[in-house]
Amino acid sequence: MKDKILYKKHRTLRRLAGVLVFLLLFFAAAAWTDCSLPQLWARRAHLTDIVSGLFPPDWGYFSHIWKPLLATIQMSVTGTGLGAALALLLAPVCARNLRGSRPLGAICRALIQILRSFPALILALLATFLLGLGTFAGTTALTLYTFAILTRLTYEDIENTSTDAYDALCSLGTSPAAAFSRGILPGIAPSYLSNVLYLLETNVRNSSILGYVGAGGIGLLLDEKMSWLEYGKVGTILLALFVTVCVIEQLSLYLGSLIRGERRVSPAVSRGLALTAVAVFIFCTLTLAPPDFSHTSATLLRNMLSGLTHPDWSFFFQADSGGLGYLLLETVAISLVGTCVGALIALPLAFLSSPRFLPRPAAALFRLFTLLIRSVPFMIYGLIFIRVSGPGAFTGVLTLSVCSVGLLTKRFSEAIDALDFRPFQALRALGVAPLPALCRAVLPQCLPGFASAVLYRFDVNIREASVLGLVGAGGIGAPLIYAMNQYKWSTAGAICLGLILLVWLVDLLSARLRRSLD
Amino acid sequence: MLLQIEHITKCFDDRTAALTDVSFSVGQGEFVSVIGPSGAGKTTLLRILNGAISCDAGSILYQDEHFEAARGRRKRDMQKKTATIYQDFCLVENMSCLQNVLNACLPEMAALPASLGLFSRAQREEAADLLARVGLADKVDEPVKNLSGGQKQRVAIARALLRRPLLLLADEPVASLDPATGRQILELLRGIQQTEHLTVLMNSHNLALAREFSDRLIGLREGQVVFDGPVREATPEVIASIYGAAISE
Repeated sequence: MKDKILYKKHRTLRRLAGVLVFLLLFFAAAAWTDCSLPQLWARRAHLTDIVSGLFPPDWGYFSHIWKPLLATIQMSVTGTGLGAALALLLAPVCARNLRGSRPLGAICRALIQILRSFPALILALLATFLLGLGTFAGTTALTLYTFAILTRLTYEDIENTSTDAYDALCSLGTSPAAAFSRGILPGIAPSYLSNVLYLLETNVRNSSILGYVGAGGIGLLLDEKMSWLEYGKVGTILLALFVTVCVIEQLSLYLGSLIRGERRVSPAVSRGLALTAVAVFIFCTLTLAPPDFSHTSATLLRNMLSGLTHPDWSFFFQADSGGLGYLLLETVAISLVGTCVGALIALPLAFLSSPRFLPRPAAALFRLFTLLIRSVPFMIYGLIFIRVSGPGAFTGVLTLSVCSVGLLTKRFSEAIDALDFRPFQALRALGVAPLPALCRAVLPQCLPGFASAVLYRFDVNIREASVLGLVGAGGIGAPLIYAMNQYKWSTAGAICLGLILLVWLVDLLSARLRRSLD
Repeated sequence: MLLQIEHITKCFDDRTAALTDVSFSVGQGEFVSVIGPSGAGKTTLLRILNGAISCDAGSILYQDEHFEAARGRRKRDMQKKTATIYQDFCLVENMSCLQNVLNACLPEMAALPASLGLFSRAQREEAADLLARVGLADKVDEPVKNLSGGQKQRVAIARALLRRPLLLLADEPVASLDPATGRQILELLRGIQQTEHLTVLMNSHNLALAREFSDRLIGLREGQVVFDGPVREATPEVIASIYGAAISE
């Protein structure tokens, strides 16, 4: 037993070493991405010029935006619905604990992993080459994005549920599909539906920026008004987006509580809600503008495919600052610093927006503030920060920091709401002072949740960082979008391959770290 | 007398009286059980005694020192003399058994090492020995969440013993355990109490177990002491007066 105790001491040392290495990495990454607080402070006036321009919003302009706003919502609903349906079909094939073909499962998992390496914006850019400009391309991109994320989440859920009922049904001679729908589906349905709602929210925010690559929706207007410096109109669009995101969030909160069984309604009402959802989905799908194939040609398709499958290896292995390795590393550095700074901002916000620490109205105010941060499309943050720090990695860091705040605050608050305060009170009753009691009885409970949220956000940021290139905020995004717009498909292929490998690597690493936290 | 309670009264915000004029004393080395129906004020009494809440009137004397008026550091110093085990264990679920037991060392440590959990080798060894004593030698590094209810209560007892308390308060220690496990826990508690000359004040719903393991019973009904005497004096009539006429043995 004494050896064991000694071994524990080594583990404490190892943990300390881990923290030191992390701090070293953080400061190295911050130095590399030219993060400079003095610069931010000196140029703070530039931060406010757009923000003050947004007020007051141009109310008269509202009549122009409700149509593209509806198109944006339509894109999200159709994309989420189609992606969710496809995910439900493919997830059982991917799950390792069901009776399916193993090689097929492995191939599907690899495909999903590749697909989810790309943010919706890059998928939308690709889609516009094939399906023409407009909402159809945007919808396709959102469908693929939803499909990739949701398939992954759903097959992981399936792998974490018991297959006893499924096996029993299979042994009775039931077909695997029927056994799945009767034996597995009821168990994973609540989590699947909550994920669908979460993706609907994400997609509404996502779809508002797809316009930047010509994929339809309100982003087109936002891009136009932003470049014409008509900030009052930008303010109107942002306000409309904020209200939409609020409404969708409230709706998803309500439906989520129904799904989790926290709130009950009569069977007739729940059937009515389900029918309404299906009707809205069908209406949105049927009224979608058709694709425009006028600019698509067989040559374009051939060039694209051959370029993407024959990456430019010299670029791939180029070791200097213009090479792929450097750009990918810069992307990692931007994501790392952005995630950490975001977490630092989100931590106090999460405590302040929890009704367990503040009176309810004050907590609601902080919650609204977080929602406000979250509802602004991150391109807007990019465009604001680029006036402060100029094109480059620092702008990327600032943008990702602010963008990480929303999701992190939400996940942190969930961890805080799940806290059990009885051990804390028990320690206080033993005569322990408040601070040590907090550190030993409360923090150990929420740290794993916090760390897993930060790791998850880091994973998302690595993928999203590639989009920052659109505003020139450093990393891999600008070269990728540039290569695609120039039809340099073999360069794009090399970047895509690098991105896929990077996302895969980060995925493995974060899964490992998260396991060690449990 | 180790503990002397005189005329304590406690009202909650909605003005319902939880305890009215409660007085009794507990001597060194006694095993005393507080019995009574739900809502009689048993848990409130224990929470006042361990300092989680304060009483409105009356005095609490630990070895002739006033506890009810103590605040801040002085209160914490007096709290160190008692240790509590709870019905729902109050352990940090994702920490190991050893770390949970070590939490009992925190009152003696300076703020920084306490917050970082930097324990000495002697403290670790003592905690491990106590875990062995309650029969969990092989679970030292196991996270508490993987244990059964009975094992969790053993960890909580080890945590309480590490404080070397003058008085061990037990709030329904076996209420969330099955009867066989509950009996084992009380046998363990009684064994430790007799070898260490520990004083135990226990709340219990379970009359039969309370009678079997205690030296003395205190009957609470609607916040008032209606019986205080050795187990043999608790006749069926007395029990009926504590619980109302509904229960007889």
